[in-house]
Amino acid sequence: MRIAGVTRELPDVFTWVLEPPAPFVFSPGQFNMLYAHGAGEVPISISGPPGELVHTIRAVGAVTRVMQRMTAGDPIGVRGPYGTAWPLDELRGKDVIVVAGGLGLAPLRPAILELLGRRDDFGAVTVAYGARSPEEILYRDEVRAWRARFDVDVEVTVDRAGRDWHGPVGVVTRLVAAASLDPKRTVALVCGPEIMMRFVLRELEARGVGADRVWLSLERSMKCGVGLCGHCQLGGRFVCKDGPVYRADRVAPLLYVREL
Amino acid sequence: MENLERFLREHPLLRGLPTEHIASLVGCVANRRFEPGDFLLFEGQRDGQIFLIREGTVAIESASPGGPPSTIETVGPGDVLGVSWLTPAREHFDCRARERVVALVIDQSCLRAKMEGDPRLGYALASRLLQLTYERLSRLRLQRMDLYR
Repeated sequence: MRIAGVTRELPDVFTWVLEPPAPFVFSPGQFNMLYAHGAGEVPISISGPPGELVHTIRAVGAVTRVMQRMTAGDPIGVRGPYGTAWPLDELRGKDVIVVAGGLGLAPLRPAILELLGRRDDFGAVTVAYGARSPEEILYRDEVRAWRARFDVDVEVTVDRAGRDWHGPVGVVTRLVAAASLDPKRTVALVCGPEIMMRFVLRELEARGVGADRVWLSLERSMKCGVGLCGHCQLGGRFVCKDGPVYRADRVAPLLYVREL
Repeated sequence: MENLERFLREHPLLRGLPTEHIASLVGCVANRRFEPGDFLLFEGQRDGQIFLIREGTVAIESASPGGPPSTIETVGPGDVLGVSWLTPAREHFDCRARERVVALVIDQSCLRAKMEGDPRLGYALASRLLQLTYERLSRLRLQRMDLYR
């Protein structure tokens, strides 16, 4: 497969649009194993709408730093799609709050696009997004476009800001605490650093949204992508095969086990 | 007075308090508006009031010499500012209205006298303020971890 286009999102984050030789079918929440020839393979969530193969990648390791230097036309190996998906069909008729932190917005983007694309299938839709600073808001133009819609409530908070930022400053859990939601009708989709997700889970529970109505996308060191190598083992589960999207009550106790 | 009682009852800090407690607080409270840019509290201020925010957002800021202020956190409806007046700490950052803010302003010495004079009221308020303070501490700890790096 080849890279059809590259967008520099942030200094260390870039988005690839790939050109599959045949239609590539996936569900929001799934991931691919991307292989940079001569460098190695990494698991990256799919971050585009149905029909478009898009990946947003942070350059943090040897492989992703090589990927950051690649340009349109370069070949890339793709295995997938793998893993479980956001349960969008189960959410039909319910209010949905999407909670994302940092790069956690990338695996949630296909779900948000589908929620907005099938807007009549769902009740109230809220997106709560936390970024490090105003400069580090991912998909800035698109988030701005979502905020301009009348049928979705989008709130963005940042951890630090100067006076030129007019939005909220503070952690994303504050947005959950302040969100207008009916706990009986609400389900949540959450992705971000695991510590953030634990705090979000507690805040949602305090708002009356139990862990059986929350889905999380977990990140572990995935290598084979098919549940054989054991690198991503989480208790008795393999995140690459049984996850990365889990209903929170099924994994919540494991999130508090140190070094797991 | 009736309005003030209603505003007090409706504020999350005081929601569910017995009627007699709310009635006893009314004499310490005024409903005030602040325009964008007004300061509710200053860092280093030696005396001040407690603010129960009803509308609008307030930036908690700190400025370094010659530089622009950094916003530490923004707070909004349902939040409380100036809690430390009730403790020996009496420490604040700058608290600046970012938009029009409406707040119930509580005279801290009056409130302290009410809390000391009626231990049931004192305990109820101290418990709620402790919870609020702990929640804020917890948020700041999370923020300080810089998770999105």
